[in-house]
Order: sequence, then structure tokens, then C-alpha cells
Amino acid sequence: MAELAPDTRINLTKASILLVDASAHSLDVTAQILKGFGVSTVHRFSDLKDAVKFLAQRTADLFIIDPSISNGAGYECVRDLRHSGRANASMPVILVCGHVRKADLALARDSGANFVVAKPLAPVVLLQRLLWVAKDTRPFVDCGSYIGPDRRFKFEGPPAGSEGRRAEDLKAPLGDATEPNLSQDEVNAMLKPQRVII
Amino acid sequence: MTRARFFYPEVRLKRLLKEPGGLRVVDALDRADAAIDAIRDDCLLAIDGKIAAISSAAKRDGHPDARYTLSNEIYAEAGALGLAELSDVAHNLCELLSLERKEDVSEQAVRVHVDAMRALRSPAVSANGTLRRAVLAELHRLAARLAAASTR
Repeated sequence: MAELAPDTRINLTKASILLVDASAHSLDVTAQILKGFGVSTVHRFSDLKDAVKFLAQRTADLFIIDPSISNGAGYECVRDLRHSGRANASMPVILVCGHVRKADLALARDSGANFVVAKPLAPVVLLQRLLWVAKDTRPFVDCGSYIGPDRRFKFEGPPAGSEGRRAEDLKAPLGDATEPNLSQDEVNAMLKPQRVII
Repeated sequence: MTRARFFYPEVRLKRLLKEPGGLRVVDALDRADAAIDAIRDDCLLAIDGKIAAISSAAKRDGHPDARYTLSNEIYAEAGALGLAELSDVAHNLCELLSLERKEDVSEQAVRVHVDAMRALRSPAVSANGTLRRAVLAELHRLAARLAAASTR
């Protein structure tokens, strides 16, 4: 994660953020951090049912949720949002997790959230992730069972033994190289800036 | 096999962030720290209440999830307030209470964690970094001894 440049300007005055956490004091802490960032509209809920009602009728620019709410129903809430087909289905989502049971790790990965941030929340980390999510360049994937940002940060081709599901996936093995590798001098020559006389 | 569909949704947040005005990052972070400080006393009071609640829940059987939830909240809230040692103890307690086999959860170890959290919140210890680290070191020593005893 890149360092934040201190003099970079951010404008969150018109952003509305949906904040969901079972703990009233965790909600307070996160809401205070967002207030510090200049966010003027924070819709906060400590009851998941109220948050679900909100999502059915309205939208926000960012959804921050502790998925452990209601015995882990927060994961399902994000998954349902992604599968809802509503206008807000692809809104950016950050999961903020305290201690996570091993059994819940796969739920976090498969929920369709953009990013997982570990509690305790520090303002600098939340701001980094917020900016990162806003500028996330990954495409959304809809493969039926999963809808959300592409979970692969690196594209290394389809898994071994599978054809791949992307139009750009190569359908045949590349095979061995037919020519010897470039020497270091040849690589240097390719990268070296050349003087151009106009 | 289901074909995957790829698409790029519009992210309004990205556009809003770039609008003229707003704050410098350094000012936003300073303001966030100040905003947390403004609710510090309320949060500390709540943390003390949660430590007491874990303690009273420990006296009854069959409440592992309530204690896990409370210690998870203390872990997050104490950490956000900069109480690193208290947050660390609460995290250890979460690890202990999230053991898959509930019969493996040692009530004695839970009590040790609660006592450590109480000690870390006492005025004498909370104001002294050396004492806070000593409480944490003692907790780790006791927890290791209890774990060794339970595997015998």
C-alpha cells in the first residue's frame, strides 16, 4: 500500500457512507474518524435489519461493515447486496474485522467486498484503504456464485488443467521458448535511453 | 462451466474525492485523531463495563459467545484508543474463546485474562508503560503455563 502524500487534497464533503457495526462504541470511533476526514453524511446502524432496509431503498458512496454483526450475518448481507441486481449492487464495500475465526476467512473472501481492513482501526489505515477502494482498477466479476471485484490481484493465467473463463485466456499451452534468452547486454540496450537528433 | 462476465462499475467516490476544496491528507488525519480523542472518556467507560461483563459471564456456564463478542469489542476499541497492551490481552482472550472445542477453554485462563485487563485499566498501571509491559509479560507466562498444564 502506497504511503499517503501529506499535501494531497481529498474531498469527502459530498460523500455519503453507510456504516454498520454491532458495537455502538466501534460505530462511534469509525464515525469520528470519518468526520475528521470531512465526511458530512454517515448513515450508521448497529442493527443489521435496519441496514438491510436502508440498502433496499437507498444507496451510499461507500459501505463499511463489521461482518461479525448478528453472528456473522454481515458476510451474507454483502453477498446479498452484490446479487441483488439493484443500482447499488456494485458500491464499494470495506469489511472491518476484529478477531476473525478461521472458519470465517473464506466467507470474507467470497462475500464480494472490495477490501478487508483489520481492527483496531487507525485513521491512516482507513484513509489509505478508502482511497485505494475508490481507485480500485480491478474489474467486477459475475460468475453466478460470486459477484464482486476480481479476487486475483495478479493475473497469472488460468489454473493448471483448466481452460480459463476469460476471453483473453490462452486456449493452448505456450510451449517452450524457441530462441535463447536475451543476454543482459541486449536487455540493457533495449532499456537504455537513446539520444535522438531531430 | 459458468462463463464469467467482467465489467467496470462506475465509482462515484472516485469522482467526489477529486472535487475542488476538501482537506489536505495531513489535516484530515489530525482531525480524525482529535475526533477520536473527543469520545475517549466514553469509550474507556464502556471498555470497563465490558471487562466487568466478561467477568460476570465467566461465573456462569454456557456463555462463550457473549464473552468472545465482548473481548472482540475491547480488542478493537482499546486498540483504536492507543491502548496496545489492553488490546493485545483482549485479542489473546478472543483466541482462547474461539477454540473449536469449548471444553478446551480453560476458565482459569479466562480469569487470568480478565484480571490482566483490570490491572491494565487501573490508574497506576495504565499510566506506566513499564508496568503495562510487565502485566503483558506475566500474562503470557501464565497463559503458557496453563496451556502446558492442560495438555498434560
